Amino acid sequence: MALSGMRGLSVFISDVRNCQNKEQERLRVDKELANIRTKFKHEKGLTPYEKKKYVWKMLYIYMLGYDVDFGHMETVALISAPKYAEKQVGNVGGKEFSESLAPDVQKLLISSSCRPLVRKKAALCLLRLYRKNADVVNVEGWSDRMAQLLDERDIGVLTAVMSLLVSLVANNPDGYWNCVSKCVKIIERLTRSQDIPQEYTYYGIPSPWLQVKTMRVLQYFPSIEDPNIRKSLFEVLQRILMGTDVVKNVNKNNASHAVLFEALSLVMHLDAEKDMMSQCVALLGKFIAVREPNIRYLGLENMTRMLLVADVQESIKRHQAQIITSLKDPDISIRRRSLDLLYGMCDVTNAKDIVEELLQYLTTADFAIREELALKAAILAEKFAPDLSWYVDVILQLIEKAGDFVSDDIWYRVVQFVTNNEDLQAYAAATARDYLDKPAVHETMVKVAGYLLGEYSHLLARRPGCSPREIFPIIHDKFPNVATSTKALLLSAYIKILMHSQPGDPELQKQVLSVFKKYETYLDAEVQQRAIEYFVLSQKGPSMVDIMAEMPKFPERQSALLKKAEDTDGDAAELSATKLRLQQQTSNAVVVVNQHSANGTSHPAPLSSVSSGTRNIDRGFLEQSQVGPQHNDVPVKAAGMVQSLTADLLGDLLAPLAIEAAPASVAATPTTAILPLEEPPVGPADPLALAVLDGNSSSVQPVGSTSDWFNALCKKDSGVLYEDPFIQIGIKGEWRGPQGRVVIFLGNKHTVALTSVRAIVLPPSHLRMQLPPVPELIPPRAQVQCPLDVLSLHASREVPVLDFSYNNSAVTVGSKLRLPVVMSKFLQPAPISSADFVAIWRSLAGPPNKLQEVVRGVNPMLISEMTELFNMFHICVSPGLDPNPNNIVAATTFFSESGATLCLVRVETDPADRTQLRLTVASTDASTTFELKEYIKEQLVDISSITANPATLGFTGPAAALAGLL
Amino acid sequence: MINAVLVMNTQGKPRLTKFYKQVPVEKQQEIIRAIYAVLSSRGENYCNFADASNISGSDNKLVYKHFATLYFIFVVDGAESELAILDLIQVFVETLDRIFKNVCELDIVYNFNKVHTVLDEIVMGGQVVETNSADVMKAVQDIFKLERAV
Repeated sequence: MALSGMRGLSVFISDVRNCQNKEQERLRVDKELANIRTKFKHEKGLTPYEKKKYVWKMLYIYMLGYDVDFGHMETVALISAPKYAEKQVGNVGGKEFSESLAPDVQKLLISSSCRPLVRKKAALCLLRLYRKNADVVNVEGWSDRMAQLLDERDIGVLTAVMSLLVSLVANNPDGYWNCVSKCVKIIERLTRSQDIPQEYTYYGIPSPWLQVKTMRVLQYFPSIEDPNIRKSLFEVLQRILMGTDVVKNVNKNNASHAVLFEALSLVMHLDAEKDMMSQCVALLGKFIAVREPNIRYLGLENMTRMLLVADVQESIKRHQAQIITSLKDPDISIRRRSLDLLYGMCDVTNAKDIVEELLQYLTTADFAIREELALKAAILAEKFAPDLSWYVDVILQLIEKAGDFVSDDIWYRVVQFVTNNEDLQAYAAATARDYLDKPAVHETMVKVAGYLLGEYSHLLARRPGCSPREIFPIIHDKFPNVATSTKALLLSAYIKILMHSQPGDPELQKQVLSVFKKYETYLDAEVQQRAIEYFVLSQKGPSMVDIMAEMPKFPERQSALLKKAEDTDGDAAELSATKLRLQQQTSNAVVVVNQHSANGTSHPAPLSSVSSGTRNIDRGFLEQSQVGPQHNDVPVKAAGMVQSLTADLLGDLLAPLAIEAAPASVAATPTTAILPLEEPPVGPADPLALAVLDGNSSSVQPVGSTSDWFNALCKKDSGVLYEDPFIQIGIKGEWRGPQGRVVIFLGNKHTVALTSVRAIVLPPSHLRMQLPPVPELIPPRAQVQCPLDVLSLHASREVPVLDFSYNNSAVTVGSKLRLPVVMSKFLQPAPISSADFVAIWRSLAGPPNKLQEVVRGVNPMLISEMTELFNMFHICVSPGLDPNPNNIVAATTFFSESGATLCLVRVETDPADRTQLRLTVASTDASTTFELKEYIKEQLVDISSITANPATLGFTGPAAALAGLL
Repeated sequence: MINAVLVMNTQGKPRLTKFYKQVPVEKQQEIIRAIYAVLSSRGENYCNFADASNISGSDNKLVYKHFATLYFIFVVDGAESELAILDLIQVFVETLDRIFKNVCELDIVYNFNKVHTVLDEIVMGGQVVETNSADVMKAVQDIFKLERAV
């Protein structure tokens, strides 16, 4: 064992290795760092040897994962030391530097008098400079030089030059046409082993590295038209394809196949004749069956790539059995490739086989791959189902085998299909019923079965074991063990089953009603409300049957799954099988995709009257959440529903079970809560004027700053909105997607009753909100609560205004307050992987969907503070996703009635000047992008007023505070 | 390009780390741990490639080779040929073997500066400079001579 030749370094390494634990290691490292620091600081006359030793020590420490924050100058000083300076130059950067340096480097590279060692480093140095600043290479002058350089005989220099050429051509293929023929010559020379020095043959193969690089360069040219060049290139490629065999020596195998696979890629790229293509497929077919795992892996990968080329699908299909075998390979890398390939090659002829294989594999697949597998199986089943009942079978099996990995989107889609295909309904209900009989049933299965049986079990009533009276206990058996949201869904199923049982079954009615009765006092508001309302509804007898009619057909729309696949498929490789699938227009998808025009109405039209008496035209919804306790009437509220632009299925099914509004009941009860969105009586006042109190109330002043309160509430969900000697107004908000419920607490602090209390909410146009009337009088030391339901229609920075006033027996006090229903309340943090982020970021190119702005006058803050601020606004910062520590990238989902919009944010700060930064926001919706950008900008500029008020930050909920006053 | 070259032992302890892009030190450690988690779960007769898109960026791959107690790992992007990188690892290891005469883990621990020098002669700025082991040897010997002379 040779020692490093630096005793001090060896001793230090030994010491670190002898440390018993991490703590000791840290102490030793700290000691050494302190030592180096003093040496660098105090001892001017360090010898180059000492300097070098210390820099190596620091490098070692750095490798162990400790932060070394000094010594850079010393390192740079070492670089400029007289020793082999030229090779280190590439490490230094900077634009001006690169411009002044580039000509010298180019000279070195071209010069024939230089040693090859210097020239190849000059080539890479130029590449490095070129990456920093593309202007250092002027295409016109340089392309001829490049062509000359390709005549080089020295393989080492040629390799480095080829690396440079890859980058140059990747950026500008047109500029380097003259290099194509030279590249072909190089491959010819290499494959014929002409003039190749012995030391450059690697396991008998002439510089495989250079061969691969050269063929890579050729793939960056869009196509090669010149018939002569094309001919000689194909001859070479043909030779490579034919002349490669699998041999015993692993290293030789690797090298020869590296060349072979690159040749295959090039053949595909050049769009060769059919014969050659089928030859390639045949070769790949051979590879995916060999024992050598590397070759099998690359065989599968290249076959997937091959699918892009027309006309080979059929020949690839011949290898289906072998590919399926690879799906069971112990190596996950290979399984992934095989999954991609199967997904890519699936069509209507083999869908049944492939999907069934995927389902079988699902039970044994490891967790890392299951979710992807489930999604892919669902998509294939949907796209290529030979018949619909098979599709239903597949999805139900999927839920049974991997319920945890089946997202809600998947079962929503089944419901949609079944609803839209009458032939399927009885079959689906019967199948779902069978699944419920199994011993362990996944919750998702309970949901989908509950839904289907609620809707369609009456179609089975005559079958044995399927009468309503028998179905109900089967479902209800699962009830105690499911989540509250599922409980709510099941309650809806019960009432439907009850209403559909013809003739009425008193025994069933008794059972169902006892369930409703039991849950009238349930903790969860949604379940409780459904239980109470359904109880009342069911008492109304057969006249209510219409209300509980089957769901109308869904508008046909793009599959949410495919959308999801598009979103999750962050793979930057353009060849990704998912994308490939999406591009194929020739599928016989079960549902005709009917995309609505991008300009379609995306806002729900306010429903001023339910005029149409025809079923299936107006789609009524039972929106229980908005039915206030003041309505004793039938709580059916019809709301207009216009097909939403984003066609988000989730929105449909999450709405409390949609029930058609029977026109009769609406007409009979004109006073029911058909609440058209009232135009606000006054438009929201100028926000700047809001904090100003009315003139006649000047004697009563708030005890704090209303804008501070407002700002604090923007970041949290509860707190004080306003307070003066007589009244305290608190707010508590709950937000879920596009909906929110804000409870406004009005607390009388005084010993005298407050009279003529008035509070009106003036909503801006992008919010739908309704405040029930507040009581006119608040008794002394008492508190009233006013619930306020909010629905976000689209993105906007405007805020609603609360106009309130009261009389404290002496004077009338009033004020207009901004309500903190700001954009961030409708945001939800979206943790995102870097791959997804990059893919989506790239796909959203330029305005209006991606907007960039340099923001000046930013309140200076550290990156960590900014991160905290973003997180407070539910914009989820992904640390480390941007390699530059001065940048922040973040993602959030904005919810509005028309669906969820994923928004990506990037902030680039300048550590030298923290008062300015560059902000980029991207989303699929231009107006959301704009509003979010403006919103973030406001927060960054207006930060002082937010952090300046710690007093209100510690406050926990007005309810508690006001209770303390009583 | 080559984004990083790592040598770590089968316990996950890094023996050589070289990143060709700016990566903060915490992130480097995170990447090393993540890579170890992937490699330690892979069997002997698996292929030499693993997906690294969740570790160091989209379309990144690990190309690695296992020698005795050490993993030699190259993190590369989609523009590199996997098998060619495997060849390169072989060249790297063969060169080390010649320099240290039967290289073992301890050689690399105590001579990590020399290992860096060798690597710098093979890969520079994320690109391959030289694939000829003899040339690399010669350049490295010259540098060692120069060092001793100082």
